[in-house]
This record gives sequence, structure tokens and C-alpha cells, in this order.
Amino acid sequence: MMGKEKIFSLLTPVIKKSPADQTEAVVINSQAGLTRYANSTIHQNVYEVNSKVYFRVALGKKLGVAATNVLNKESLKKTLENALSIARNQRETPDFTGLPGQASYKKLKTHYKKTANFSPQQRAEAVKGVFELAGKHKLTVAGAFSTGESEVAVLNSNRVACYQPLSSAYINITAMSDNSSGYADGLSRSVDELEIERLAEIAIQKCLDSRNPQGFQPGEYTVILEPKAVAELLEWMNYIGLGAKSLQDGTSFLAGKIGQRIMGENVSIYDDGNDEYSMAFPFDFEGVPKKKIFMVRNGEAKGVVYDSLTATKDKTKSTGHALTPDTPERALALNLFVKAGDSNLKKMIESTGQGILVTRFHYINGLIDTNNAVLTGMTRDGTFYIEKGRIKHGIKNLRFTESMLKAFSNVEQLSRQRRMVASWWSDVGCITVPAMKINNFRFTGKTEF
Amino acid sequence: MKENIKETIAWLRKKGVDYADIRQVKRISENIRVKNREMEGVSKSEDLGFGIRVLYRGAWGFASSNNPSKGEYKRMAGLALDIARASGLTQREPVRLAENEVYKDKFISLCQIDPFKVSLDEKLNLLISACDLMLKNPGIRVADTSLNFFRSEQIFANTEGSLIEQIITESGGGAVATAARNGETQWRSYPNSHSGDYATRGYEFIQEMRLLDQMERISREAVALLSAPECPNQETTIIVSGNQMALQVHESCGHPIELDRVLGTEISLAGGSFMTLDKLGKLQYGSPQVNIYADATTPGGLGSFGYDDEGVKAQRTDIIKQGRFVGYLTSRETATLFKQPSNGTMRADGWNRIPLIRMTNINLEPGEVSLEELIADTRQGLFLDTNKSWSIDDKRLNFQFAVEAAWEIRDGKLGQMYKNPIYTGITPEFWNTCDAVCNKNHWHVWGVPNCGKGEPMQTMHVGHGVAPARFSKVKVGGAK
Repeated sequence: MMGKEKIFSLLTPVIKKSPADQTEAVVINSQAGLTRYANSTIHQNVYEVNSKVYFRVALGKKLGVAATNVLNKESLKKTLENALSIARNQRETPDFTGLPGQASYKKLKTHYKKTANFSPQQRAEAVKGVFELAGKHKLTVAGAFSTGESEVAVLNSNRVACYQPLSSAYINITAMSDNSSGYADGLSRSVDELEIERLAEIAIQKCLDSRNPQGFQPGEYTVILEPKAVAELLEWMNYIGLGAKSLQDGTSFLAGKIGQRIMGENVSIYDDGNDEYSMAFPFDFEGVPKKKIFMVRNGEAKGVVYDSLTATKDKTKSTGHALTPDTPERALALNLFVKAGDSNLKKMIESTGQGILVTRFHYINGLIDTNNAVLTGMTRDGTFYIEKGRIKHGIKNLRFTESMLKAFSNVEQLSRQRRMVASWWSDVGCITVPAMKINNFRFTGKTEF
Repeated sequence: MKENIKETIAWLRKKGVDYADIRQVKRISENIRVKNREMEGVSKSEDLGFGIRVLYRGAWGFASSNNPSKGEYKRMAGLALDIARASGLTQREPVRLAENEVYKDKFISLCQIDPFKVSLDEKLNLLISACDLMLKNPGIRVADTSLNFFRSEQIFANTEGSLIEQIITESGGGAVATAARNGETQWRSYPNSHSGDYATRGYEFIQEMRLLDQMERISREAVALLSAPECPNQETTIIVSGNQMALQVHESCGHPIELDRVLGTEISLAGGSFMTLDKLGKLQYGSPQVNIYADATTPGGLGSFGYDDEGVKAQRTDIIKQGRFVGYLTSRETATLFKQPSNGTMRADGWNRIPLIRMTNINLEPGEVSLEELIADTRQGLFLDTNKSWSIDDKRLNFQFAVEAAWEIRDGKLGQMYKNPIYTGITPEFWNTCDAVCNKNHWHVWGVPNCGKGEPMQTMHVGHGVAPARFSKVKVGGAK
């Protein structure tokens, strides 16, 4: 990693000398290793060191963006010129009222040296332990274990100068038998907090418990979703409805419903980049400090997250949720939370006469009917039938097709304990959610395993 | 830079590796998006780096860097070797590679008009004009247009002596008209949804798209969908449009024939495959009308190249022949299972990713009938057009697709339009009901630029040469 001083001393003169009216630089440096395993052997083992610098320039209201991963003075100069050339040949962006100004952001501990320097040998030793645990039950395991560090800096000609070092550790474990599988994963800024052995035991137990799964007819059932499954729903809901763009386009499930009750009173969905029980990250890619924003509060639609451009369109202020300058979605909620309840998984199962426990989903898609947040997807790696308060047996995987507005209106219980679940943006955020018990959840199809 | 590569290969040979290869890749891209005549984003990007893959005592290691200096080449080579040693800690069976010829060659993809030399003004004018045409319809709330261009310049070298250079240019784009009323939105896309159509061609591909000719139609259809009835639940005959067939082939055939999935090495993320080894040569995957092949030499296909990222020459392989499952997509490692050479489908998403078995162009052979004849030959059914959503289980059996629009077919004619159509099925059951594929006049190679696989995630650009096709007894319904 370059460190704050080196980045600032490299980029500050470039910004100062830029002929643009306003200039912004976003720097992302990273180095990470990932050990991938399947059939209880390591089959892919990779390391990457990379950088990215984005320049966004403004000539009046004409904007240009250019990026490079080559961090020398010549390349930076060429990239800035590319951004300027685009801006000169551009049309105006009416919503551009200037780059954000300087603001203070929360100091957070987001970097752990041990995690940053965790070696391929250490990762191999850790997964070898997982293989041995699974082997005792004549199971095999598959998954990935990654560790690494990154740093993000945002500088602009309005004196914004933000810097944050980050580390992350993530493992996913799928235990496999001839006809069943079980899954667990863990995510943290610190590799010491992963509890790999405990996660392996969860995956193994789920695999053993779901052996010889039985066929099950689709229909409406009470469903208990473990946090991983809840997070997968939230990930798609974020994409189709929690950013300002989707609200402005009218495609969001919040469009036309702000102030209305759209979910159960026990459901609150919010974003908080400063909460350290997530992959906290205190500012966005425009250097705006992150605000805690409720999208849904006690079932009522409250709003969406903004960057500076989308905020101008809605005559409001940025909430600190800008994505990198080349991203068309502009703003998304990267540190999503669902408010905890007072239940737990055991109570949820014990209070269920007939229902289904879902460990995780596969291949969810939310583009069917975005205004009603209709999602579809398959269950996988541990789907169980519950009868009279007990898990009876594993069942073959099912397809759900359901409106999340309906599902989240039928939430009977939420767990007190929440879990951080990784997403594709996990260096700078994650999804922290409880388990949920939902009534009348619609399964629409089945498969053969 | 070639000197760094040659010196590093020589150093790795001295270290006694079983095999090693190096890919140095420079990728440039230009992305332009105009929405409601406003500049949604115009950006250019440059990405340069190298990756070293080492097989040492039967175990893999890979290290990559964005700094192609002599010192960094040496550091990454050492690191790749260390990582391979770490992989060896759990190795049970050493990895072996199928034989491959040594090539010294250069491949340049088709490109008549260099898209990076076409002025930004011309590109913006095209997209603004497309927005204007869509916004002429007062029912359109969002007119969204985009153009995207990519060029990768790659040098590949391995310890067996291959040295291959490739320059591949890709162009693509499209438009979406979104109509909104009373809290409901409906959209129509051209030429395809999810950012349009793509090819390994130059700006001539964009010109041939004739974007402006279709804006009035998609706007009219998007608005009409708002008033259309919900697609009724039924089991019926369907004719699937070409652009939706591309995704149907992609999800239900392209992925399950990836041999790494079959062998369980993608199980934790993308999943496995129902097309297991015991089914090769035996499974009646589809009806005799179904002939599917992988072809990395399809002219202009988004999955076309000269050599794959293990240095195997681009080729054509039969996958489904008269409905029978006859072949997988393989790598040099997995092909040893059949004591055959690789069929050249190892592809990496840039210098910082290892190659994985990926689709090239997975093509459905055209049949004999025209689309008009096929519709005329259908007494009752639905014509389903343009993908909206896609989902399939982790062994690629239970699929569900939503499409943008459906039209009733009654007594050989298109009639009522329906909104929110969804169809679902089990892969081999579905393909065995296929009784006709349209002829070569309707056959087009659709570019799919967003195929995800692997950890860390890799996004691959693949192609599907397909024509509309007819299937029977398919479960269809509405989203509600």
C-alpha cells in the first residue's frame, strides 16, 4: 500500500495544476490473496496487487471521467488529459452544481495488519483443518478463503482529502455428501474473528442433517430465513430500489410510496457506514461523510440514498453514498442493516407448526417486477422441513417467486442476533441482518435435488 | 516488455516448474451513457498488468501485478511459486495437463472502423437522437441509451515455447424505453436488454444496428404494455425470440457443459451441473432438432478469439448433436480425463485473473423454417420476446425467465399483447419439446457481456448464435 502521505503528495499537485474548473481524484489500491478449494483440495490459489485512479473533471457543467491503473506521473497526466478531452466534447449535465466540499468524517479502525499480511501458507493451513473436520464425517468441502488490504483516497479541488485503510477476511464453506450440502460463511475486517472451525462445523452439520432430502410440493409456507438468505434478498432490493436513480426513474418499489406503510411495523431497513458491526467505511467515493439513512422505518417507506448529482435532481443533499465516478447507478446503500428483533432461530423453529428453513438462496433475480420488488430464486445448501416445532428432514430445493413488499409485511419474528454477510462490495460494506420468520412465503417450483 | 516475459519464463524453467504461463494484458475501454438526453456518464479507462500461473509439483499458484517492471515480474514469479507450494499442502492428485501444440502467432479480431477513432460527438449525437425519438412518445418516462467499446492487447507466453499476441476489439450498445403510469413501469429494449448487443467488431457493428429505426417501435410497445393484460397462467406452446433464445442457451446449456462445474470445482459459488460424466454420449438432452456447438471461430462473435488463455487454438466442438449430449467445454487440465486435447475454452477476465473454463460462442444450429412460417404453423401459443430476468438452480435444471413482452398466437397469427410473462421448466424436459428452430435468415450471434463465474468474480464476454425456436407444453404465467 502507498499510504496516505504518498497518495496525497502524488495527487495533490496534479489536482492543483489541472486546467479544469474542478477536479476530483479517487484512488483505490489493493493487494489480496484468495485460496479456493473443492473436493477437499486447493485447486485455485491467487494473489493480486492493483491500483485504480479515477479523475472526474468539470468544465462548467461539462463532466469527463477517465481512469487508469498505472500510477506513474506520465500515466496520471495522460488520464487527466483524457478526462478533460471528454469534458470538452461533452454536453452539459444540468444537475451538476459543483464537487462536494470539505467535511469531517468519523475515525474508524478498519485495518488490521495481521489480516493484510496473512500468507498463502496460513490460508492453506486453515483450510486443511476444514478438510480434516469434514473428512471425519466422510464429507468433502468446497469454498474460498480470502485475505487482503486496500486503501481508498478521495481528493478534490474543493479541499476534500479523505483517506481510509481497509483490511478484510472472508471464508465460505460448503460441505458436500452424495446427496446433500451445507453452507456457512464468515466476514470480518480481522482474520482473527472468522471462527473458521465453528463455521466448518455448522456447514458439516447442515450437510449431515439434510442427507437424503425428500421432494416437497411448492406452495405458500411459513419460512425461516437464516441471515445469509435475508441478505441475499436485501442485496437485490438495494439494486432495484434503494438508490436514488431507481426512485427518479420510477422503477423503485419505493417510487410513489414515500410516507406510506409498505412493510410490517417490525421491519426497518437502513444504511449506516459508520456502524462498526459492518464493514464500516466512513465516506463515499465523492468524499462525503456517510449518514445513517432509513429507507424503511417501522414499515414506512422513508427514502433512498443519494450522491451529489442525484441529490440535486431531488433538491436534497447527498447522503454520502456515491459509488465510483464511472458507475451509472451513482448511489447505493453499501452498509445495509435490518433492525434486530427479540427472537432467535430456536424460538422461530419451536413456534412453527409447518414450515421451511432456508440456509441460503441461489441465483436470485429481481428484474421481474421492480415496482413490487418481485424476486425469484432457488434455495440451496441446506433446506429443511419443519413440523410441530422441530426440524424433520432435509428437502429438495425449491424456487420462490415473491413480492418482498408482501413478504416483509408478513414478518412474524426477527432474531436479536444479527450477522454480517458479504456482498460484492465487501471491502467497503456488507449486509448486517437478523434471521426472519415470514408467513405465507410463496414457493413456485421445485427441482430434482 | 517482451524481454521481461522471456526472462521470467526462463527463470521459472530453471526453478523446475512443471509448467508456467504469463499473460500481459492492456485493456482500454470507453463507456457512454445518455439518459433522457442528459449525460449519464462518459468515461475512458486503461488497465495494464500481468499474471503468472505456475504449476509446481502438480499444484497451482498465480500472482499478478499492475506494475510490469522487471523487478515486479521477478517478485510475482517468486510469489506464484510460493503460492503453488502452499497449494501443495493439501494436494492429493497432481495436476496433469493435456498436450498442446507450440504456437508463435498473432491474432487480430475483425474491426473495419476503429471505435476509438470515431469522435465522441458522433457517438453522443447518435444516443441523443435515439433519446429524442423515444421521448417523442409522451408515455415514455426514461429513454436510456449506451455505447461501450473495449480493446485488449495481450501477450501470452508459456514454458513450452508458445508466444501468442492477440488484439481483440469489441463494440456494443443499445437502448431502453421505459413507460410509467400509476406506479407501474414497463420497458422495451433494442436490440437486446441488459445493455444491448455486442460483437468482436468495430464501429461498423453499431452502424449496422440501425438503432434509430427501432426507437419509435420500442417506445410504442413499452407504453402499450402498461395497458396490456397480465400474461395468463397456462401450459402452452411458445415461440421464443432470438435474443431470449441466446439467454436460454446460455443458462441451460452453456453453463452445465463447463467441465469444471461438472467436476465440482465451481460448486461453492456458481454451482455444479446435472450433465454429469455418466451422461456423456447417453443423455437425450433435447429433440433431434436441437444441435448445439461451441465455436470460438464464429466471425464477430463476442466469444471469438484466436487462442484461449492457455494458448490452445480457437476451435469448434459439438455439444448437442440431434438432441444427444456429446461434448463438454474443457481445459488442458480437465481434458486429461478423456485422454484428449483441450478444446480451447480457458478464458480469463484480464491479467489479474486465472483462466477458467468459459463459454466461447455456444451456438444453436439454424433449422429450415422462417419465423413467419413457424407462427403461421402454430394454432395456439405465445411469442415471447426479449429477456427481463433470469434464474436457474445450481445444477442448471429448474430455470425461470421473465421476458419483456408476450403476444398471443392464435390460428397462426399474432394477437393480444401480454405483460409480465414468465416461463419456467426443467432443462432436458424443455429442450426435448423443441420441434423447430428458425432458419439462417433469423440466425444472429448475440453478444452477452456479463457472464459471471469464479472467486474472485470474473465477468466474461460470450456469444450465442441462435434463431427463434418453438417449444410445447411450457408453463407460462404472469409475475403476480
